[in-house]
Amino acid sequence: MTDGYPILAVNHLVAAFDTEAGRVRAVNDVSFSLEAGTILGLVGESGCGKSVTALSIMRLLPRPTGIIESGSIRLNDTDLVKLAPDQMQRIRGRRIGMIFQEPMTALNPVHRIGRQLVEVFALHRPDVDAGQRVQEAVALLSHVGIPEARARMDEYPHQISGGMRQRVMIAMALAGKPDVLIADEPTTALDVTIQAQILELILDLQKETGMAVLFITHALGVIAQICQDVAVMYAGQIVESAPVTALFKDPRHPYTQGLLTSMPRLSSENKSTLPIIQGTVPSLSQLPPGCLGPLFFTGTLGVPIGDGSEKRKAASCGKPKDGFSHPRRCAAKKGGAGACGGRCFANCGTR
Amino acid sequence: MTAYFIRRFLLIVPTFLGITILIFVITRFVPGGPIERIIAQAQQQALEGGGTAVSETVQRQPLSDDQIDLLKKYYGFDKPVLVSYVTWLGKLVRGDLGISTRYYDPVWEMIRERIPISLYFGLLTLIATYGVCIPLGIAKAIRHKSAFDDASSVLVFVGYAIPGWVAGILMILVFSSHWELFPLGELVGENFETMSLWEKALDLAWHSMLPLMAYLIGAFSFMTFLMKNTLMDNLAADYVRTAMAKGLTFRRAVFGHALRNSLIPIATTFGNNISVILSGSFLVEKVFNIDGMGLLGYESVVERDYPVVMGVLAISSMLFLVGNILSDMCVAAVDPRVKFE
Ligand SMILES: Nc1ncnc2c1ncn2[C@@H]1O[C@H](COP(=O)(O)OP(=O)(O)O)[C@@H](O)[C@H]1O
Ligand SMILES: [Mg+2]
Repeated sequence: MTDGYPILAVNHLVAAFDTEAGRVRAVNDVSFSLEAGTILGLVGESGCGKSVTALSIMRLLPRPTGIIESGSIRLNDTDLVKLAPDQMQRIRGRRIGMIFQEPMTALNPVHRIGRQLVEVFALHRPDVDAGQRVQEAVALLSHVGIPEARARMDEYPHQISGGMRQRVMIAMALAGKPDVLIADEPTTALDVTIQAQILELILDLQKETGMAVLFITHALGVIAQICQDVAVMYAGQIVESAPVTALFKDPRHPYTQGLLTSMPRLSSENKSTLPIIQGTVPSLSQLPPGCLGPLFFTGTLGVPIGDGSEKRKAASCGKPKDGFSHPRRCAAKKGGAGACGGRCFANCGTR
Repeated sequence: MTAYFIRRFLLIVPTFLGITILIFVITRFVPGGPIERIIAQAQQQALEGGGTAVSETVQRQPLSDDQIDLLKKYYGFDKPVLVSYVTWLGKLVRGDLGISTRYYDPVWEMIRERIPISLYFGLLTLIATYGVCIPLGIAKAIRHKSAFDDASSVLVFVGYAIPGWVAGILMILVFSSHWELFPLGELVGENFETMSLWEKALDLAWHSMLPLMAYLIGAFSFMTFLMKNTLMDNLAADYVRTAMAKGLTFRRAVFGHALRNSLIPIATTFGNNISVILSGSFLVEKVFNIDGMGLLGYESVVERDYPVVMGVLAISSMLFLVGNILSDMCVAAVDPRVKFE
């Protein structure tokens, strides 16, 4: 695997929806960067803005309600936010591929699988002639683990299982040989054994092609299996980001700690009650202005506050003590943003 | 699936049998049949004809019992119900619809004469409806909430609110009577016979313009909004997002992916149109003085011309049955998920 320069860098991204109740910011000042040849996990509970982040990168937010308000999304040196629609269209499928959560609905029900896959070749490899495209499509289908690929080409999506459909989705996303793959909860809708197979497939393909993967999930366990880095998202913001090992060993943000303690483990005592994060994500239109930090530490958000540990206090968003202004406070002790190794409670942002 | 459709076609037989029983029973037992009509006519004639000889019998009943028995025999009312039903059904199956009690012409001849006219307007209406509503619905869905969308909605709804024959009268008043742009009615001009082929076509088109508009005006709203709404649903569907994520332009995602899915509900309405093609609207036909099936059916009901009523009903219900199966075939053709077993 390669060096690890950031191939995709999201900076201060704000994405919003115009709803009946006014403008709602579903993604609020999110920054992260995906390094070439690595897998970055984006984790957070349902509704926290993971899909909106992914769709912003693809510039596929539902029109006309969804808009990118500000921020930049750099793919190498191109800012995707500023691209004209026809230029962006050439990025999709060729530079960035995407797979979605629902394999049941993500494929066109009235087109044969072969046709849907060959379409990608026709789009991104116009030099290849029609017969060759079909052959490549069959080869790709077998490559993603679909048995009897040639026969599958003539079938409709409803004729194959959910796991097979997700493999077809993966094949379609990879057909244009993208540098970046966005996988938005690709295993959530599948049953457990199939989940493991799909994860393994993505991991194998990533190793083989060296592409970078933004892997979105709500399950920390999955992150531990395949990711190098992880960003934890809560209510439209990234509350903590770190290399996987560091995050699991030493979670800094109370929300991350809550997530980790509520994960079932083999080592936990038999039949003990699983700790849960209480409450639900507050409605985005009702978030208090400013930093979410205080909410966590007063228990408003229901993160279990156990023995009053020093670490958590240090993490709280009080008055800046270390000379850094509020919006970009750092969780790591003194020494500033650099010293935290990127593990900021970024974005206690101005809203 | 072939087996399914064969079964469906076979099922037409018992269904149609049931319909014939209904038709027969209704026409037989609803008061005011052809005999009553003839009695009334005779009464009127007697009243007008002999001012001096207005006898008591005329006031009550101008026909003798013998005459009435003769009439009953003529119309087949003398036989038991079951026998006359079977006789009628036997003739119907052989394509003999009987003789009109009003014009004494064979019913089938009367219907056949009008089929070309109704078919002509029916097909034109059908083509124009699909030809306008599908593109209009697509344009409205893509430009949802734009000025174009709002303006066309207003137009379509106004059209929906105005009955076709009212629009017909208005159009005759404005375009034919006031501005004299179009003929007042009829399907062809007076010297149609002497025209060249090209002139005939022009004349026909010129005469068809207003009636066609009257037919169309109410038909637009349903299809346009069906098209618009299903397309909007499909545009928001996951698979369209997938298509765009593959790198397709919005246009190609719409026309290559969303459109075919949106045509599925439209396809369900398609087969039923074949019965509509032949029925026409008697009010529009009346306004424009067009002698089609609609007018024939209506007048035969008013005049108690039962053989015609029964013939028209039998034919249109048969078309309806076939149309339903055609609809299902259309759906099976556009939606691979549909499997009729
Ligand atoms: N089309 C939309 N219109 C309005 N709000 C939306 C829309 N799509 C998503 N949202 C809001 O954005 C927030 C984040 O959604 P999403 O990114 O789908 O969450 P998840 O992390 O589960 O993928 C949610 O609160 C949701 O209500
Ligand atoms: Mg999601």
